[in-house]
Amino acid sequence: MKKVLNLLFSNIVVLVSTIAIITLIAIFAMLIIESLPALRTIGWGFLTSGAWYPTYDDPEFGMLYMLLDSLILVGLTSLVVFPVSLGIALYSTEYATRAEREMVRSITELISGVPSVVVGMIGVLLIGPLMLKMGAWTPFNLLNATLSLTILTLPYAVSLIVESLQGVDPILREGVLALGSSKIKAAAMIIRGAKHEILYSFILIVNRILGETMVVLMVAGGAAMLPTSLFDPIRPLTAAIASEMGEVELGSLHYSALFLAGVVLLIISAGITMVAEYVIRRGKRWLTG
Amino acid sequence: MRKIAFLILALFVVVNLVAETLVIKGSNTILPIAQRWVEAFKRYYPDLVVTLEGAGSSTGIKALFNNTADIANASRFLKPSEIEQMHEQGRYFVPIVIGYDGIAVIVNKSLPIDSIDRETLKKIYTGKVSTWNQIDPSLPKKRIAVYSRNTASGTFETWESKVLEGERMAPWVQMLESTQAEIEAIKRNPYAIGYVGFGYVTDEVKVLKVEGVAPEIGTILSGEYPISRPLFVFFDLSRFENTWPESGVVARYIRFIVSPEGQKLVKEAGYVPAYSISE
Repeated sequence: MKKVLNLLFSNIVVLVSTIAIITLIAIFAMLIIESLPALRTIGWGFLTSGAWYPTYDDPEFGMLYMLLDSLILVGLTSLVVFPVSLGIALYSTEYATRAEREMVRSITELISGVPSVVVGMIGVLLIGPLMLKMGAWTPFNLLNATLSLTILTLPYAVSLIVESLQGVDPILREGVLALGSSKIKAAAMIIRGAKHEILYSFILIVNRILGETMVVLMVAGGAAMLPTSLFDPIRPLTAAIASEMGEVELGSLHYSALFLAGVVLLIISAGITMVAEYVIRRGKRWLTG
Repeated sequence: MRKIAFLILALFVVVNLVAETLVIKGSNTILPIAQRWVEAFKRYYPDLVVTLEGAGSSTGIKALFNNTADIANASRFLKPSEIEQMHEQGRYFVPIVIGYDGIAVIVNKSLPIDSIDRETLKKIYTGKVSTWNQIDPSLPKKRIAVYSRNTASGTFETWESKVLEGERMAPWVQMLESTQAEIEAIKRNPYAIGYVGFGYVTDEVKVLKVEGVAPEIGTILSGEYPISRPLFVFFDLSRFENTWPESGVVARYIRFIVSPEGQKLVKEAGYVPAYSISE
């Protein structure tokens, strides 16, 4: 009986994981198949031109500016989210009292449950007017998108990094302190101890920012231009897909080009993950000699 | 047991064969009207199966040619090439004007400007001017925040043909997802300009005169207001042996859309009705 149950269970697990893998492959395959007509017609033009005019009589499908908009936004938001979340996490694991730690935990948990459309509304109703007061020519711009995305991803980042730091063996900290080092030195050791996990957390956060759609659709401005200041509006690829997919003619070149944009996003996200894994693996080899 | 199942199956097949269908395709501009029409029309004919798809005027007319649609919505008249093709195939697509689309140009209430011409609008949207004082030195030396509806919208189609005349929008034109978002943005931003369907204008924003004409039902119907165009519904008369259909689902639908009830829905969707809406 036990054997049968075991066998049954292992089969179910295999089945479920096969389904997951097949789904993943099917998503990849579908994206690529749907984007092939565009790739065939446009060639590499989609990466060398920034002119995105999909509905004109002589359509153009240059995604370069929107792609760069996405990357600039990811870069800026990461620049804010990474140090701040690391700081909060470090404080809550190394310095905070138990009550403070609980407070940080419950606040981050509470905020991370907020749907992105609500964060978008905050960007529209609170940050937008603030932008105008600061002298921006449009309330929806790169800075607004960065701040809104920070609100959205910071709690997520904090809880991921807290988890990473807590994974470090406390003996390390105690040992460093026992050797007479300062608390800052101990914190640095903890970070070193958890650096791979922290790197993984950062990658998850980067992918989250890169893939975020609702917030950027609402507050980034929707102009497919290269920003020259923080107050310029931008249009990340995800916003373009969300905005145009709804009414596009099925099977048209425009439809296919939107799928191509999806493939581009997927490749970037997979690329970042792969590079990080490579770095971590090489780092491990150095450690073990 | 099997007999009953078979009976049910047979009944199902018969019902499906008998159930009337109406396939409507075409313009995104007309889509909000057509949605209201279909909803109201189905109240009279609950068994009717209606498929409604908005994918552009050309797609609708193509679907008439391929016999994959009964009704084509189009925000433009037939092109000469389409008329030739129609003649070659010995067919006749009946055009019915069902309303007019007028687009209002809106700015923030605090901006000291009341009138604009199409040439200037084109310059603003194609990026040849970028600050207000380039248009009129008495206006503030501030960058114009230019708003547009996204390319999926029918309003965009009209704007593209009536103002841009095929030229491309500047990259810094901001695409917004809804008319409400546009009004909201312009209400808050003192240096913004945008355009919305005439029926959606609220008193939170200022409507500009274009070429000296304010968008009103009268000026749109008379054609004086320049950013407007007639909206059409086409059906293929050759499917009815070239006589006007007086019965059948297409006939009933056509009668409904030009009736006062149907025309009221045109107004409700934010457009100008072509026919009387009083009973």
